[in-house]
Amino acid sequence: MKLHHYFKIIFIKFFSLIFFTLNVYAIENIDEKVKSLTLELRCMTCQNQSIYDSDAEFSNDIKKIVKQKLQQGKSEREIKKFLVERYGEYILFRPLINLNNIFLWSFPFILLIFGLFFLLIKTKKKSV
Amino acid sequence: MNRIFLLTPLIVLLIVCIFSLIYLLTGKDPNKPPSALLNKSVPIFESSSLYNSNEIIKTKDLQNKKTLINFFASWCSPCKVEHPLFFEIRKNYPELYLLGFNHKDPTLDAKKYLKDDGNPYHFVGVDSDGLIALEFGVFGLPETYLINEEGTIIYKFMGPLTKDILKNEIAPLL
Repeated sequence: MKLHHYFKIIFIKFFSLIFFTLNVYAIENIDEKVKSLTLELRCMTCQNQSIYDSDAEFSNDIKKIVKQKLQQGKSEREIKKFLVERYGEYILFRPLINLNNIFLWSFPFILLIFGLFFLLIKTKKKSV
Repeated sequence: MNRIFLLTPLIVLLIVCIFSLIYLLTGKDPNKPPSALLNKSVPIFESSSLYNSNEIIKTKDLQNKKTLINFFASWCSPCKVEHPLFFEIRKNYPELYLLGFNHKDPTLDAKKYLKDDGNPYHFVGVDSDGLIALEFGVFGLPETYLINEEGTIIYKFMGPLTKDILKNEIAPLL
């Protein structure tokens, strides 16, 4: 066999290995993304379980759809929007930041401001 | 006076909290999660008939008629419970179009089920991969939707229909 044949074989093997590694990495990466996203989604037919933790038929369907959408190159945000449009915000464990939930998100900060305000007045009174 | 001035914001905050809690908790049954598609247009779908794959039903076919959509399967026991009620609906509301979606069911099983228990639907669409159910936001069988002439979902019920539900919740909308 000629020398350039060896090079050809090594070249093909090398790039096959790279391709295979990248493929495995991509699959693992998508599985990781599916896990992290489905952990944030509520199983609507279970008692306070995430889609990831549940084996219900509904959860398995959603896992499949999430994986499909990620493989299609959709972002997490797009997938969440897709699911919220069909199942409502209830499917999300973490509520969206929008006008409807503004009170929910701002309430801890309002409490903090009130707390600080009273603490300030109390300490001022004590110092006087 | 100074004390009242100090306590006023706290009282206001307390009142706001109470009202917000009342708003958030009234009429919300945790066993009945809200439907995102209520008062929205029917999702776009296309399904072939269980009996003839060349016969297709699409979203636009539901225009200008009131439609009751029911997702069912032969393997779903609660579907069997509500099944006889659809014959009653068909008899009492002849102008209502009954569309059944056979969800994730082997064709033979679905046909046998409808042969044994009877077929009350005007059209039985196939949803073998569950994608139509996904578009409708279905999360458990059976589920029933009422669509008005404008193609808007005006009612949704999760679980098997009963005579009481038909009389008190669906009939007033027909």
